[in-house]
Amino acid sequence: MNVSNICIRGVGAVSSAGWSAAAIHNAVLAGIPLPSKTCARPGDVRNWPCESRFAPASPPEKIARHPRLRRSSAITRYSVAAALEALADAGHDPAAPPPGLGILFVMMNGCVNYTGRFFHEVLENPAQASPMIFPETVFNAPASHLASFLGVDGAVSTILGSPNSIMEALDTAAFWIGSGIVEDCLLIAAEECDWLSAEGLTYYHPNHIASEGAGALLLSACGDGPRVSEMIGPLAYLSWQERCELLPDLAAQTLAKFQGPATLINDSTGIHKIDRAEIAAWSGRPWDSVLSPKYVLGESMGASGALQLVLGTLAVRQTQQPVVISMPGSNTAAYACVLTP
Amino acid sequence: MNTCVSSSTFHTTNLIQSSLVPLPLRQSIAITGAGIVSPLGMGWQANEVALAADRTAFKPVELFDTREFIAKTAGVVDLPAESLFRRIPAHKQTYCDRGTRMLLMAIREALAQSGRQSMDGIDAMVIGTSAGAMPLGESYFEHARHDSGRDPTQLSRAEHYQPQRQMSSIAAEFGWRGPVIIVSNACASGANAIGWAADMIRSGRAKRVLAGGYDAIARLVFAGFDTLRALAPSGIPRPFDAQRDGLALGEGAAVMLLEAEDVRQSAALGNIAGYSTATDLHHLTQPDPAGKAAIRTMTAACTQAGVSPAQIGYINSHGTGTPFNDVAEAAAIAAWAGDAVSKIPVSSTKSAMGHLLGGAGAVEAVICLMALQGQWLPASLNVREIDPAVHFDLVRQFRRASLDYALTNSFGFGGTNATLVLQRRFA
Repeated sequence: MNVSNICIRGVGAVSSAGWSAAAIHNAVLAGIPLPSKTCARPGDVRNWPCESRFAPASPPEKIARHPRLRRSSAITRYSVAAALEALADAGHDPAAPPPGLGILFVMMNGCVNYTGRFFHEVLENPAQASPMIFPETVFNAPASHLASFLGVDGAVSTILGSPNSIMEALDTAAFWIGSGIVEDCLLIAAEECDWLSAEGLTYYHPNHIASEGAGALLLSACGDGPRVSEMIGPLAYLSWQERCELLPDLAAQTLAKFQGPATLINDSTGIHKIDRAEIAAWSGRPWDSVLSPKYVLGESMGASGALQLVLGTLAVRQTQQPVVISMPGSNTAAYACVLTP
Repeated sequence: MNTCVSSSTFHTTNLIQSSLVPLPLRQSIAITGAGIVSPLGMGWQANEVALAADRTAFKPVELFDTREFIAKTAGVVDLPAESLFRRIPAHKQTYCDRGTRMLLMAIREALAQSGRQSMDGIDAMVIGTSAGAMPLGESYFEHARHDSGRDPTQLSRAEHYQPQRQMSSIAAEFGWRGPVIIVSNACASGANAIGWAADMIRSGRAKRVLAGGYDAIARLVFAGFDTLRALAPSGIPRPFDAQRDGLALGEGAAVMLLEAEDVRQSAALGNIAGYSTATDLHHLTQPDPAGKAAIRTMTAACTQAGVSPAQIGYINSHGTGTPFNDVAEAAAIAAWAGDAVSKIPVSSTKSAMGHLLGGAGAVEAVICLMALQGQWLPASLNVREIDPAVHFDLVRQFRRASLDYALTNSFGFGGTNATLVLQRRFA
């Protein structure tokens, strides 16, 4: 099955803007970067700037209760909340998810909080490191918890990769649905932030601001909802230079796929050195509006592609016009896609 | 919408879904090349010789300090001292992880076996890993922890810790620009990667895919299994032994070149005939005692392959050597095979090389391929008294056999179960 044959029936999100897809939509449309604060370094003081935008505390009604979630990490809690919102958005009772549901997860860094905590314990005193924490460090722990919560015992998988690996997952989800492996698929990309990942980002550029969250899309073969009518990529690259050189081709291939007024959702961070190739690539046509979620929310790494798709879905619903999403990626390949009503 | 859900609302046993549907397509996927790096040796031949000799490969871990751990040994790969990369500058190889180097060696062997010098014409790579480049993440953590100052060398660690960046190094080595999908379903990652690749070809999304898995021993992972008391204190794993007391970790990589029949250009070594995956909801780290998910994956994979349990000539079990895993898998095999169970030969090659985690499924699939090619069965070693749960034919010594189909199981943390069925290729 081609991705254009599946529709996005529901969306959900957690981000630095709040615990809903609408919160992202409102924040990004406002176009003002959310407040950031210094990311604390445990037990130490940093003599260089390192800002972050964490997700706000969970509203009580967003706290899902299940034995598996008692000790789960932030990334799992974000994912469950986003998934339940997507199911509800599609008209499903989250307490009774549709039969034949599959789950595809995407992440880059994964369960960093528990991983850091566990490794710290290992370095301090391996004999006293907690056996309760280690299983929560595994990349597919969030997918497992969500599957348990929803009772999904079929196809459940986790993909690692760049922020735009969500497109690989989308392609796989379309295959799962088209071949009857699943009837519907929850596609989720999530990330949690800690001081190590926040510092890591600043090595790429001092003004990079780390963020976190989860975006969820409920995909089906039939029903109402925007469709990914075109997927362009992957255009693989082996260096930043190659990336810059192929982005005009990515844009040209994408722009050849549709006509008329459209919205662009780009990957811009607000840091010129990082953004300039992408901005130049997409500047060849007028856009009804240009939305830059990373500029407003921060760099949510593995979750960012899903947050773009959530935002794009809401934009299509609102404008009934095509939305182009630019996902140039950070170190392996570039993608773009077109969402249509 | 109020998404607050009480715990009483969710009883997963009442919500078991039958979402697992075997793919309707029965197209065989040709395996035209395979590469393997394991603690038993580098390459097909070395592993075949070691398996034929019933050799084990456990030794003290020297990659990090193990004095505070209960277990102190593992199946460690002796990587060659010389540079394995030919096109990447030496300074950039510093951050190529051990696991990546093993994967590179396995890819080279798979390509060579299929008569290729390059990755030209390969549509995609699908690679499974559980820990990725964890040692680089550990190094990043330790540097950050010891020095609060800004350290520019941290950029390389942060960058190369990302598994996709490690795969990019391999792509650069071959000058290849194609999609790389990294599957991370814990210890089922490698099997899932091969299954996904086969699915890509069956569905027409690709004609030729390199697929496999890898993992290198990392301190955090070793410590994790040690704290769980999952590692055998003696360092000797005894899968399906009545007194088994845990697994041994290992490391390695394996890769298969899978091709659609209409584009195959070299002789096939075998076929991927069936694949299925399912999720065990019982517990994050413990299998359902009856192995319900394993029963479903074995059934579905055999349905796709068009074979009955009686036609399976060998099962390379997940067989970790932990008390919970082996009894659950034995129960699942008995339930799935029915009356045929006593005639089905089963072994766990983890008894010889340890548990290769994300690499296990791929390495064990290649061992199945070797068994089909060579018409032999590798052994479950170190068994003193067979567990009463075992009703199958536990292979305790290397033996010659006649087999057309082999099945391999992989189960992972998080409940991911995967089964692959491989078919012998007739001349």
